[in-house]
Amino acid sequence: MTEKKKEEKVYRQLESNKLLQQIMFQYMLEGHQASEENRLAWVTSGFPVEIPVAMGVGVSYPEQYGAVVGSQKVGPEVCGYAEEIGYSQELCSYARASIGSVEKPDQSPMDGLPTPQALLAGNNICGTVLRWYDAVSEQTGAPVFLFDTPPITDGQPDHHKEYVRNGLDRLVDFLGTTFNTTLTDERMHEVADLSSKALELWNKSLTACKTSPTPLNCADRFLAMAPVVSMRGTELIIDFYETLLDEVEMRVKEGLGAIRDEKIRLLWDNIPPWHSIFRFFNGLAKRGVAFPADTYTHAWSGKLKIEGEGDDLFDSVVSIYSNVYLNKGLEAKIDKMCELIDDYNLDGFVMFSVRSCKRYSLGQLVSKEIVSERTGVPGVVIEGDMVDSRVYNEAQIQTRVDALLEMFM
Amino acid sequence: MSKFGIGIDIGSTTAKGLLIDSDMKVCAKHIMLTGAAASQAIDKILEELESQSGLQLDDIAIISTGYGRARVENAEKSVTEITCHSRGVHSLNPEIRLLIDVGGQDSKVIRIGKKGRPEDFELNDKCSAGTGRFLEVMARVLGITIDELGPLALQSDSPSSISSTCTVFAESEVIGHIGAGAKPDDIAAGIHDSMATKIVALAKRVKVVPPVCVTGGVALNPAFRHYLSKHLGTELWIPEEPQFTGALGAAVIALNGKS
Repeated sequence: MTEKKKEEKVYRQLESNKLLQQIMFQYMLEGHQASEENRLAWVTSGFPVEIPVAMGVGVSYPEQYGAVVGSQKVGPEVCGYAEEIGYSQELCSYARASIGSVEKPDQSPMDGLPTPQALLAGNNICGTVLRWYDAVSEQTGAPVFLFDTPPITDGQPDHHKEYVRNGLDRLVDFLGTTFNTTLTDERMHEVADLSSKALELWNKSLTACKTSPTPLNCADRFLAMAPVVSMRGTELIIDFYETLLDEVEMRVKEGLGAIRDEKIRLLWDNIPPWHSIFRFFNGLAKRGVAFPADTYTHAWSGKLKIEGEGDDLFDSVVSIYSNVYLNKGLEAKIDKMCELIDDYNLDGFVMFSVRSCKRYSLGQLVSKEIVSERTGVPGVVIEGDMVDSRVYNEAQIQTRVDALLEMFM
Repeated sequence: MSKFGIGIDIGSTTAKGLLIDSDMKVCAKHIMLTGAAASQAIDKILEELESQSGLQLDDIAIISTGYGRARVENAEKSVTEITCHSRGVHSLNPEIRLLIDVGGQDSKVIRIGKKGRPEDFELNDKCSAGTGRFLEVMARVLGITIDELGPLALQSDSPSSISSTCTVFAESEVIGHIGAGAKPDDIAAGIHDSMATKIVALAKRVKVVPPVCVTGGVALNPAFRHYLSKHLGTELWIPEEPQFTGALGAAVIALNGKS
């Protein structure tokens, strides 16, 4: 026999990725169609997207576009277009990628996002989004709507809920006026049902990663989360999350891990380095390191419609979208990390200090110390950026991660 | 356990090699500038270890460490400098719980466990303030050699105030002090004071637990040791050859066959 046996890869590709690619392609086409029909809004990742979706408004996500720019390894170029017109290199690289691609769409991946007719910013994930959308508004002429969710430190008082609730009413008025559309109770319930169903399926896949070996690794989850971020409330994504869950449950049943030889289980904190996502996670997979949980993909888990909790969906929108943990104190994130480390039986954690994302990264040094003390497992902070590979030093990251791994050997 | 072990530490400024026997006795050692081609430094180190010890190195396990660790082709494996420095210092003084290593282009603070393994660590490698490079730049501005800088600083009883945040800004400050007529010994003292402050901030992140050891080339500088000890509020323990602890740790691992 001359034919060599093909060497098995250390990580297992998900079959459901094919379906993921199809729906993401369809999503892109729908964005272009909505733009041509003058009914496209750009939205931030923490925005209550169920409302525009229920009102027939198409949505596109500049943050997701930033991830595409990063994955295609053109972050320095596209961010550079924004820097050329005066934006600082210190500005969030998602913002720079978005502003840069509007400036030079023909030199950006997918010719940029389709042109928006409105910009919907929710400041529950960060304060930069408002200024960023203001900048895009100057470039495109699309009006900005701010969904303002003041930070929560210790419970949400009634006047706070009322304020956010008024914001939702203003949102419905804004979309009604801008797009000449209305919101019906029936349609809102339909969309909320679909959104909750997708989130329920997604949560089941995430929870299945408590099993050892984990059926999903970090890069798997970061790719599979795209629809639940950008297409919550649509029928299109239910099929994908059902297929994904089937595959995940099959892996659990057969004892198949996302990587072939899981030895060390770690928690990942923050957005991933999109430009190096496979190189980083698959490189560690070769050494038996799996990431069964992360703080980021677990952030999209608030179901809008919970049985037995009454019918006022807007109240539940207020609660879910105000209580995003980036909108709460550092303590909430520390609690979440400790909970994930315990529940997913993790040996340690890696915190990615993202130069762009101050909101997510601020407090990581303090958190590291507290999480280590509470859980008794070691952690490491590595530094870089999710899109801009100019501020990602692989050798320095390697030394830190290697030193963490040596602590387990 | 083998009879001998070799550790090679390819740092950003200097490359070090050390050969030890099973009694932990150093049979041969060599230090040189890493230069632009790490492979040449590696060849030279192995040559020196062979000629000093008179041993055939072919059958002796080699462990590599330092930023150029992947360049040592005949190493059994590479281990980070964090683990190697911990192991090296532990083999010299098992009481040490906090290790501060100040190298040419980075500084590290490592909390060492009772068995000599790192328990926590912090690195400063994004900025040259707080590293040997900072002192090199400042010596150049003052027109003296790096070896003269520490002794000069110890003559001062009134250190100039110098920013601890950035080498480039600190350089401008030093030039400002020179222009304002400040005494060179006060400026030199301010430089060491500033650098020690920066390292102490890093050390506090992993908690200062005495006894504290300082390694790396900068540990040879008496003024740095003086200001570091003052700001940490504790005595320091300095190995006889503080530049070799990374290579020593690698050699210990090579000898024991386990990191």
